Amino acid sequence: MKQSVMKKWVTGLFCTLLALPVIAQEDELKDLPGYVDFGDLSATYGEPKITINLGGTMLGFVGMMSSAKSPETSKLISKLKGIRVQIYETDENLEAASQQYSKVKGDLKSSGWEPIVQVNEDDEQVLVYMKMEAGHMEGMTVMAVDGEEAVFVNIIGQLNPAELGKVMESFDVDVDLDLD
Amino acid sequence: MNEYDEEWEVQINALLDGELSPKGAEKLKADALGDGDLAAAIISAYQLQKAMENIHVERAPDSLRKKLKAIPRRKQPAPAFRLFQPRWAMVLAAIPLTLIVVSLMRPDTPPASEIAQAREEMAIAFAYLDKAGVMTGREIESTVGRTMANAVTGSINRVIKSQHLSSKEKKV
Repeated sequence: MKQSVMKKWVTGLFCTLLALPVIAQEDELKDLPGYVDFGDLSATYGEPKITINLGGTMLGFVGMMSSAKSPETSKLISKLKGIRVQIYETDENLEAASQQYSKVKGDLKSSGWEPIVQVNEDDEQVLVYMKMEAGHMEGMTVMAVDGEEAVFVNIIGQLNPAELGKVMESFDVDVDLDLD
Repeated sequence: MNEYDEEWEVQINALLDGELSPKGAEKLKADALGDGDLAAAIISAYQLQKAMENIHVERAPDSLRKKLKAIPRRKQPAPAFRLFQPRWAMVLAAIPLTLIVVSLMRPDTPPASEIAQAREEMAIAFAYLDKAGVMTGREIESTVGRTMANAVTGSINRVIKSQHLSSKEKKV
């Protein structure tokens, strides 16, 4: 009997230890004031076209790698704590994405986020919200829903859009986004 | 109970259990014929056995039987520390595994490919931010443009109207 209890205890301990890094990374971001829960739209649109979850540790490595080539980029990354992106293909089915957009927008408003820009067209909705605490930016959220895709971006930490424009060229990554 | 009685009791029990040899059974019966007490003891024991057989004993639930079976029949003396006991073997096995897990949790430098992938993902995220900026910029431009255009056309219309009215008044 004691042996069985011991076996269960050891198994439980291993499961906890194995899950710790994942839990820790998720919790690391969830606890930050700039974190936004976008929910899950996979029931409607299937798996996201793009999912990005970069925590502070990985961003730190990217920043270190960039420091020699572009100190500006490294400086910008050093102020970031996390980057999360979820992009779903909507295929002109806007209902679920628009509902989620409205829900998250409500959550942002009620938790002290400030609207920066909002576009509300029939076929296109875009918003940029920012979270400020004690004069410091804690996060930025961008949501864009149109007939093609639903984009949810959450930047945790400080990001100056003016600096972003400057460092975009240094990334040297071909990202083809349809702006029409 | 003296030794003589104890011997009878053993023999009576053996007789009732069918474990007494035929010779022993014959001897016991012969003794009982000459000894009223022995005969009474055999009869009492026989009646008791019959009565016990008629008692209905309800079967315990399987779960309880399993638990009862699991209880050791005798209390074992506390074992001394033995390294190869199952529990200690498990603890010993747990140590290297724990070390592996802990080492995996340490923020060692990830491979360059992972960092390059993260860099690419970051570029995608920033590109989407840029895209949202362009979209909102366009909207602002068009809204401002419309407003300006409305303001200009409105004022032109007003001027035209007022000129039209004044020319009518002059004619009158």
